Amino acid sequence: MEQVQFIGEHLMPGKLGHFFAILSFVMALFSAFTYWRAAATENKNADSSRSWQLLGRNGFILHVAGMAGVFITLFYIIQNHLFEYHYAWRHSDLSLSPKYLLSCFWEGQEGSFLLWSIWHCVLGLIVMFTAKGLESRVMTVISIVQVALASMLLGFYLGPDIKIGSDPFILLRVMMQEAPIFSQPNYLDFVKDGNGLNVLLQNYWMVIHPPILFLGFASTLIPFAYTIAALWKGDYKQWLKPAQVWSLFAGGILGTGIMMGGAWAYESLTFGGYWAWDPVENASLVPWLLLVAGLHTLIVFKATGRSIIITIILMCLMYLFVWYSTFLTRTGVLGDTSVHAFTDEGKALYWHLLFVLGSLMLLALLLIIARWKSFPRVKTEEAVNSREFWMFIGSFILLLSAIQISITTSIPVWSPLAKAITGKDVAPPTDVVKHYNDIQVWVAIIITLLTATILYLRFKTSDNKTVLKRLGITAGIAAVLSAIMAYTQRIGDARYIVLLFGSSFTIVGMIYYAIKVQKGQLKKLGAASTHLGFGIFILGVLFSSYNKEVMSINTMGVMMDFGKKNASENARESMENVLLYKNTPVVMGEYTATFKGDSTSPDDPRVFYKVAYERRDTTTNKVTESFTLYPDAFINPKGQEENSMSPNPDSKHYLTRDIFTYVTKAYDPNAKTDDTSQYKTHKVHEGDTVFTNEGYLIYAGLNTNLPANVYDKQPNDIAVQAVLMAYDMKGPVDTLYPLYYIRDQYAYQLDDTLQASNLYARIGNIIPDEKAIELKIKQPEKEDDYIVMKALIFPYINLVWLGVIIMALGFFLAMLNRITKKEKAVAA
Amino acid sequence: MIQRQDFMKRTHIILLILVAAAVTIIVSMFGDFSTYETFASAAKEPGKQYHVIGFLDNSKPFVYNPEVDPNHCTFYVKDKAGNLNKVIFNGAKPTDIEKSEQIVMTGSMQGDAFRCHKIQMKCPSKYQNDQVAIGNAS
Repeated sequence: MEQVQFIGEHLMPGKLGHFFAILSFVMALFSAFTYWRAAATENKNADSSRSWQLLGRNGFILHVAGMAGVFITLFYIIQNHLFEYHYAWRHSDLSLSPKYLLSCFWEGQEGSFLLWSIWHCVLGLIVMFTAKGLESRVMTVISIVQVALASMLLGFYLGPDIKIGSDPFILLRVMMQEAPIFSQPNYLDFVKDGNGLNVLLQNYWMVIHPPILFLGFASTLIPFAYTIAALWKGDYKQWLKPAQVWSLFAGGILGTGIMMGGAWAYESLTFGGYWAWDPVENASLVPWLLLVAGLHTLIVFKATGRSIIITIILMCLMYLFVWYSTFLTRTGVLGDTSVHAFTDEGKALYWHLLFVLGSLMLLALLLIIARWKSFPRVKTEEAVNSREFWMFIGSFILLLSAIQISITTSIPVWSPLAKAITGKDVAPPTDVVKHYNDIQVWVAIIITLLTATILYLRFKTSDNKTVLKRLGITAGIAAVLSAIMAYTQRIGDARYIVLLFGSSFTIVGMIYYAIKVQKGQLKKLGAASTHLGFGIFILGVLFSSYNKEVMSINTMGVMMDFGKKNASENARESMENVLLYKNTPVVMGEYTATFKGDSTSPDDPRVFYKVAYERRDTTTNKVTESFTLYPDAFINPKGQEENSMSPNPDSKHYLTRDIFTYVTKAYDPNAKTDDTSQYKTHKVHEGDTVFTNEGYLIYAGLNTNLPANVYDKQPNDIAVQAVLMAYDMKGPVDTLYPLYYIRDQYAYQLDDTLQASNLYARIGNIIPDEKAIELKIKQPEKEDDYIVMKALIFPYINLVWLGVIIMALGFFLAMLNRITKKEKAVAA
Repeated sequence: MIQRQDFMKRTHIILLILVAAAVTIIVSMFGDFSTYETFASAAKEPGKQYHVIGFLDNSKPFVYNPEVDPNHCTFYVKDKAGNLNKVIFNGAKPTDIEKSEQIVMTGSMQGDAFRCHKIQMKCPSKYQNDQVAIGNAS
């Protein structure tokens, strides 16, 4: 092929970026090797080990520099709109607001791996200077994982078909060689703008949620690395404190990150909630559950010397599931079961991730087998009135919960196998949410009941009398509280009443524990706060989902049979969208909602739909409450998806409930602009009525006595006004005065308009003999202006967010307490 | 305290019970799982909920009149076996369904129509296969 000289390309950043990517990969390898040598020579030759360790440190620092270089270069390319690079072209455009520049990183696969890797770099540097005796081992593990991540950015070809990683600096013309435009030297003249960022990501939650979630994912590496280091060294004391501190950190951050995703889904997606048991959500929940389980057994081990094996298994499993999640969500293996927009990068990534997952699994498995005999074990058995006994059971329940979620989430993974054996093509449950809820509600019940109980107990053995007394008081208060709540919130399902009791039990128990046992000392409130937050969270989930109410029940149309228990549930299922014509109020629950029109602004690609809500007192008919919501929608102006709509909800937040509204369909704003409606002629006599879309007009007669200045009057004009009284369903709204005049033997008309209803009135002709006029009325058809929307009420959803915040605070309090506390000798 | 034999600690007994319970739950949850069917196989058990994968037939009209009923769409889908069937969706028209290259419907066969309450679409983006959000009625 002949070499074409392309015009206007900036090739330097790409070359630099690619160099940084290779540098960071090589340096990660170097660091892994040298740290490994440092660990291996530790006992034989301290001097040599020290030198290896120094090499390892320098290698890791260079690796970090390389990663930072990749990050900065890619950022530079996106910021300067260098669309000759595929990444910038694919994920950004000229109109992108600067605050979303970083979001381009997590839209693409390469950027996500880069972000993940950057967090590992930051955490790795912290670990490097704090790990002390375990540094060489922990850093070996971190470096190995960094090798895996850096290889994702290489884009090397091994032979024509096998590609390792994906280079974020690949040029657009290289990516799409087959397109003829790229054989022209001046092709960049035609690539004026990028493809743009997915509109769903143009949301403030999407600026903050992915970095936090990736930090959470990244921080799970540290407890795993410490676990491997402990196994490797065969020393189960040194790792305890850092593993616990880092688990608390990871638990807090990952939990917060997951629920920020929930907040994003709630605010900008339209499935009507913060959690849908979507495979992508589950994929991050499972590692968190395993981490929390592992954290608890770790505490048991630290206090009593028991549960070491399960702790190590949980910690390893937790991290393997982080990679398994990546595998599930990044390779397209979930196929039809997930709503999340992830790209299918094909077979290369599939095998790449499987290879990493398999290697990590092998590493953990071989180490556990090698150390199996030497694990410290306690011969005696734990007492039933000990904290460790119930804590172990609680952790085991969390493990079972994680297993259940994984089995259902992984249906697309194992269904080909099931098909080969049974011949059935297994699909996810038809009602996924119910499927998970029905099982996981029992997990929530057991965990909430265990929480307070466990904190009242002491390690090894407890004073039964005190514990029973405290449990009795707590259960009593909780029973009264939950009875009141079940009654006022009309919760009838037995399982949910038990859960209500469970969460009240946790909340009351934690407050009691914080005041009575920990005497309100802030430093010690970590556990109480985390579990209090968990209790409040469960309560919020229960209220907001159990009593979630669809306000927008449509009363017209056909009812369909959805196999629900009774007719009203069927009706509900089939009628959740309501059509609102402009300015026509529709009753929704206790409110009336009116669509008032739409608005756009030049620097915002969204269309806002104004929906006014009003609540009236049933007896006095006075407005007691009114507010306006602006659900909006992106109308995509570009390419193939032109005019496709991507709606965002808007909510009215009250302390005790949210009113959640979004548009499911609207009239086409482009079709609206070419006004096709015609004037219709009505012959009217005095006192006659003409109906309009919103009401009617009464023709009150002609007025020849014109007020001054109604139009540019000239001396010889003959002018009259028609008096039209406009009414809507409630009463008179306005009076219209269309004008008719004769000048130089020609007739002229001036319309009068009723702005709010878009109505134009004109005198077509005057028929003096009949004392009538021909009135011409133009008003766009009602159908032109409508929206179809859904409205939901989420009661007490603020409890969900409050619970999450208290829980996260608890994690960090506990972490700070761990860091500052002088460790007691470990019981073994 | 009674000293039991090492292999039968109290914890072990409880673990056994828990594992047994978990296995029971997991086995029973397989009953929840649905299957991917064709229109023909879904018709064998009318009223039972299934997943059907198919392709929208754009040569037939897609009927959605929000003025009449904002929760009612009627269209035709060709399933993987190549059979064309009428589909009724209760919900607003999913955005861009005409451009979808594949749709997964959850619902049941009722009479001659497949009535579904959930639709998931796969839409072609310009150069990549992006998954696009679903039109979900529930």
